Amino acid sequence: MKLRENDHVVGYAFAAPFILGFLLFIVYPVFSSLYYSFTNYNLLEAPSWVGFDNYTKMFTDDEKYAKSISVTLNYVLASVPLRLAFALGVAMLLNKAIAGIGLYRSAYYLPSLIGGSVAVSILWSQVFGDKGLVNSALGLIGIESSTSWIGNPGTALWTLIALSVWQFGSSMLIFLAGLKNIPKDYYEAASVDGANKVRQFFKITLPLLSPIILFNLIMQTISAFMTFTPAYIISRGEGGPLDETLLYSLYLYKRAFTFYEMGYASAMAWVALIAIGLVTLLIFQSSRYWVHYESKGDR
Amino acid sequence: MKKALTGIVLLALVISLIGCGSGNGKEAASSAPASSPAGSADASPSASASESKDPVKLRVAWWGGQARHDYTLKVIELYESLNPHVTIEPEYAAFDDHWKKLAPNAAAGNLPDVIQMDISYLSQYGGRGQLEDLTPYTQNGTIDVSSISEASISGGKLGDQLFAMNLGSNALLAVIDKAMLEAAGGTMPNEDWTWDDFTKLGPVMKSQGKLLTADLRHDVFFPFYLRGKGQHMYAADGKGLGYTDDQLFIDFYTRYQEWYNNGYLLSLDKLAQKKGTPEDGELEMGNAVSTWGWSNQYILSSTVAKRPFEILPVPGWNENKALFLKPSMYFSIAKNSKVKEEAAKFIDFWVNNIEANKIIMGERGVPVSSKVKEALKPDLTPEQAKVFDYVAWAEQNSSQMDPPNPVGAVEVDKLLKDTAEQILYKKLTVEEGAAKFREEATKILSKN
Repeated sequence: MKLRENDHVVGYAFAAPFILGFLLFIVYPVFSSLYYSFTNYNLLEAPSWVGFDNYTKMFTDDEKYAKSISVTLNYVLASVPLRLAFALGVAMLLNKAIAGIGLYRSAYYLPSLIGGSVAVSILWSQVFGDKGLVNSALGLIGIESSTSWIGNPGTALWTLIALSVWQFGSSMLIFLAGLKNIPKDYYEAASVDGANKVRQFFKITLPLLSPIILFNLIMQTISAFMTFTPAYIISRGEGGPLDETLLYSLYLYKRAFTFYEMGYASAMAWVALIAIGLVTLLIFQSSRYWVHYESKGDR
Repeated sequence: MKKALTGIVLLALVISLIGCGSGNGKEAASSAPASSPAGSADASPSASASESKDPVKLRVAWWGGQARHDYTLKVIELYESLNPHVTIEPEYAAFDDHWKKLAPNAAAGNLPDVIQMDISYLSQYGGRGQLEDLTPYTQNGTIDVSSISEASISGGKLGDQLFAMNLGSNALLAVIDKAMLEAAGGTMPNEDWTWDDFTKLGPVMKSQGKLLTADLRHDVFFPFYLRGKGQHMYAADGKGLGYTDDQLFIDFYTRYQEWYNNGYLLSLDKLAQKKGTPEDGELEMGNAVSTWGWSNQYILSSTVAKRPFEILPVPGWNENKALFLKPSMYFSIAKNSKVKEEAAKFIDFWVNNIEANKIIMGERGVPVSSKVKEALKPDLTPEQAKVFDYVAWAEQNSSQMDPPNPVGAVEVDKLLKDTAEQILYKKLTVEEGAAKFREEATKILSKN
């Protein structure tokens, strides 16, 4: 008995740094933001209680809020499937036994290592700027262009999507691991039966990979909803042109730190939390129709 | 074995707790002497000079570009060499970031002791109890205002409290590249020029592949236009817009749109990529014939461009005495500062010390102290002298500036810029833009 108690002490002692940090830097801020979301808080004065005002204003009286939601949905709906498709494509290419494959794998993973960072975003604004790489490349093939792709309302969001797709590395690695787990004999049997590569892909690769697709889909969707850095850097913190890159988190940040409306921003954060939770739940619910587990026992 | 492990872990915990404890102790020890001289100084200001030789840490925050950071650090060095007991911790950033850092610091009761303040934030910080009233310090001479005019000081007042010390006077102006204009076949306008005269330069410059200018800052030049029409951007009580006739908005932005559509201005997609520094300016790089802004910015513009420009007042300056002098920026003292007396001394040094101002050279606006202004005259470069002369001329031809922007003005200014962009991108007609701006701005300001 005595020994068991000691066990607990040791356990808690080891966990204490995490638990303390978790309580102090996660739980406390999360719940204070819930409180602030019901207040008018400008950081310079003490918060004052306003009930559900922030939430009602959001949905009834804020054009920019609606705009930021539509921009974010566009971004998520375009960038997540593209990124996953790209990641899967590259993973399949890298799943071949060729000389120096390890080198290729590292090379393709590189963009993700530096991904999401400030430096890459700055690089991106050079690449897609009016005198950037893209326009130079277009010039080489005879298309003269001097528009700034970032400054143009029609293309600005697509430069962000392109950046997101370019950072496919972590999904790719997971796909690669999944592909390696698919037994070779399935393909051999299929080709003996006369199934071509396309048919093999849809009948063997995709179904067997579907649990991994589900995992990647959820992770990437959540991170896409929370994208902030590239939009902030590339649009210089404004979300322009014409609010076309005003992602939800960027608008939240502007409300909080440019306009000093911390209460409103906290309310936005809570709505986002609930919305992302619902979307994740939806994906999970849908998974029973398209995800196949080889061993049925664990589902 | 288990017991030994428990012992080690507990020991580790105890050690780390002690570590934290001693860390706190150190902090407390270092902040204690910093706060005590301020306490004693407040009690007996006359004795402070001799007694406050205990080490003092002063946090000074400002915004600016690299050139400003560089010389400000030099002024700080000078101050530290003259006051060895003072250590200054500089905190500098670009304009937007300065304010993003400041607000959370305010919430934590941790504002820097000396804060560079802008007129558009004065109501927010001053009116919400974050800034110290400087009146006691100007009255007891800690901040010497004997050679500063009342008009210069009053720009930092909200009601009868002085929340910010004016660092320099600014006036709006147009900077013209006369050589470029004449090479293109245009003639240099005189000071009585109108917006139509400016528009007429458009085709002349365009034929040479040059722009009139990159853009005109909406939150600066639209209010100035309103002043020329005897109106104001904001209502005196800050609860709404100050002008009632949307035709003024329509007139101003119809003209602006004409410039834009004719290609006299920088296209918006390129403008969005501009850093806003003089090194990146279209006039400075020789792509545009003019730039529009505040007089203190002229000094860096001409330095960067390495060629002389001409200064003209903004058209409409002579209608309804639209021209005005404005504090380019201020220094404020945070309410939460524990070393207010020392902070005030630093501000006094900045405003009145001649050696310091020989480093500053009017980059933060023409000095408000007449003594400093006189002392600098022999050292001014020809380009700097143009600014000093222009501001002196403006002083004779101006009326009082609008009161500090109301709370919410930061958002209204952004709204104006958004609306103007929607007009220029043809998402809105000018008339729709005028109505939408009024509706949204009223919504923001009605919270006051």
